[in-house]
Amino acid sequence: MSKRDPTSWMRAEYEALVAQSLDWKLRVLQGPSAPRSVVDGKTVIMLCSNNYLNLSNHPKVKRAAREAVKTHGAGSGSVRPIAGNMDIHEELERRIARFKRREAALFYMSGFAGNAGLISQLAGEGDAILTDELNHGSIIDGVRLTKAQRVIYRHCDVGDLERALKEVDGWAKKILVISDGVFSMDGDIAPVDGIANLSEDFGAMVYIDDAHGEGVLGDGGRGVASHFHVEDKITIELGTFSKALGVVGGYVVGSNDLRNYALNKSRTWLLSGSHPPAVTAACIAAIDVLETEPRHVKKLWSNTKYFKNRLVSLGFDIGRSETPITPVMLGDSATAKRFSQRLFEEGVFALPIVYPMVAKDRARIRNIVNAGLRREDLDEALAAYEKIGKELHVIS
Amino acid sequence: MRRIGFVVNPVAGMGGRVGLKGTDGVADEARAQGAEPVAGPRATVFAAAFLGVAKGDPSLRVEWLTCGGPMGYESLRAAGVPEAAVEVVYTPGKQTTASDTLHGVEAMVGRGAELLLFCGGDGTARDVAGATRDRVPILGIPAGVKMHSGVFAVSPIAAANLLIAYVRGQLRIAPGEVLDLDEEAYRKGEWRIRLFMTANTLAEPHLVQAGKMMVAEVTEDAIRTELAMHFSELFEESPETLFLLGPGSTIHGIASALRLEKTLLGIDAVLAGKTIERDLNEKRILAILDRHRDAKLVLSPVGAQGFILGRGNLQASPDVIRRIGTKNVIVVATPAKLETTPVLRVDTGDPSLDAEFSAKEYLFVVIGYRTSKLHPIQPV
Repeated sequence: MSKRDPTSWMRAEYEALVAQSLDWKLRVLQGPSAPRSVVDGKTVIMLCSNNYLNLSNHPKVKRAAREAVKTHGAGSGSVRPIAGNMDIHEELERRIARFKRREAALFYMSGFAGNAGLISQLAGEGDAILTDELNHGSIIDGVRLTKAQRVIYRHCDVGDLERALKEVDGWAKKILVISDGVFSMDGDIAPVDGIANLSEDFGAMVYIDDAHGEGVLGDGGRGVASHFHVEDKITIELGTFSKALGVVGGYVVGSNDLRNYALNKSRTWLLSGSHPPAVTAACIAAIDVLETEPRHVKKLWSNTKYFKNRLVSLGFDIGRSETPITPVMLGDSATAKRFSQRLFEEGVFALPIVYPMVAKDRARIRNIVNAGLRREDLDEALAAYEKIGKELHVIS
Repeated sequence: MRRIGFVVNPVAGMGGRVGLKGTDGVADEARAQGAEPVAGPRATVFAAAFLGVAKGDPSLRVEWLTCGGPMGYESLRAAGVPEAAVEVVYTPGKQTTASDTLHGVEAMVGRGAELLLFCGGDGTARDVAGATRDRVPILGIPAGVKMHSGVFAVSPIAAANLLIAYVRGQLRIAPGEVLDLDEEAYRKGEWRIRLFMTANTLAEPHLVQAGKMMVAEVTEDAIRTELAMHFSELFEESPETLFLLGPGSTIHGIASALRLEKTLLGIDAVLAGKTIERDLNEKRILAILDRHRDAKLVLSPVGAQGFILGRGNLQASPDVIRRIGTKNVIVVATPAKLETTPVLRVDTGDPSLDAEFSAKEYLFVVIGYRTSKLHPIQPV
């Protein structure tokens, strides 16, 4: 009898993905992620990074990373609960809490690790989790790790959330309501005020994943809760340093109780090596920059307004976006892929979002505006949009 | 004067209550098991609803071309349509058959009917569409066991409203699909649905049933496994509760994943994770409910039409539902199926029971392991 081939299934599954054009084809960034980056050997205007404020290139942030390597070394040596809890980790958490105007913060390896590690500990048998139908995959995975009953409510629909709250109110021990703050595919903002007020009425916990709102929305980029002035009503707010703050790492903010509970219960936190000093110090510096240089957030919004207005006046459909995430709706996947390819040829890097990430007839190019882009960069990108839009008969 | 053809298939729907899933060729058996006429009374509800509006509006006066006896005349008269407005163009024999429908429809078209209304199910739709051959549009008043075809109004009242809108010139004519199952195979538990033809019908997006959409099953496998896990836990947690599993491919798929014996098209009873009775008719459901007071009925909406009751599961009669209680009805659907189902509908034939469902406005639909979503439920 022939022995089974332990890994041939991998190739088979991969080939099936390739056959359906569902595989990821990785692009190579040669050098920093910057407003103009070198991608696969070509200098292009970057319109698809999450580096909203271009802080990954900020001199203070880079300097902090270099200094921390000198003072603390390249790695942390352990997980935080054992021997990897450095003074700069503790300092970063104090700085996050101060910036977010909350009691306490806990720094995770990533936003994903925060969601997967914490949500899974917040509800269990006999509890209910109410979650927006378009929430991020990391929330979905966190929810799937629980034994709670899950109710999916309609996207950003406070009325549907209220109906669901009434339904579960009768039997649920704990209720957890979870929503993204900004939805990454469409760039729309969750009605966080409505969600928070309703949840308060039912004694429910509110969990907001503000990965795309941090550094973008609210007072000085303090996020979606600040935008709606409901910071004190959000039980758990999750953020990330990997997007507007330009580094990497997730965090949650809330009460001291939350921090104490989370650090004793989140397996992704307990069992991951802690962040290296360079990352941790760069995160502290990124907060410094946000607190002392308000111009970056302002520039992000003036760029966003300019880019969106011009796209609309060219005749493009930008969907329901309210943030720097600017989809250009193109309908079918083939058009979106062709459009993206032509943009790259014209020196603009913006990737298509196609089925199955979005519905078959909702394919789009997703642009993310960056504070580091100059007016002439935006004009060049817009000229490419106009040219290709006419070429592919998307606009007239 | 507008001339409207009107034909009733008197045996349509009779197989449903007694668990026969169709009445083609088994009308006698259905009668022997105590089945009562369904189509005639529903046709009367339609005609009375139309008359109620038409009485006060001279522009809605129509001349009915119909068949004698139970094939149309009796329903119209029972609704109060005056003798003078009815012309019998064909008189069937004592035992009506499909050939009577064909002859009747041919006579109506010959006498200048501009629209053909029929009361029955998919089989009747096939007969009527075959006879009209697109010379005039057709519209079905639902009364059969199965109504997959896209030529049916969602209820007798909706059919009356469509007729009113049509006479007033508010509707357009568009092709609808005529689908039916091979009833011989269907009774053996084999789901063989076929597209027989298209026929012109009245187009109004909210009231005409879209043909049952076959949601792609291949990508749904994982979801079904998840749903199976959900129900497996439910069965385990409540070993005393009787679960009545309704028909259709979603629930059948869940049952197969659990290695539970389940008929594709019937209602089966599960207790403590085991199938204890299969393919129940109304009588047997009521009998088993006498022994098991604590019961839940698991249903899945029928394609795009969204019916959870009243299409393909007439064994779950109003009596059955009342015994179980509307709060013990569990609706299950895969997310993809729910996406193509804008609203849930019930059409039990008992208006107060339908009202009890629609008063809820939203029902929880189980769409995954321990996962549900509120979905609107509307009266028909």
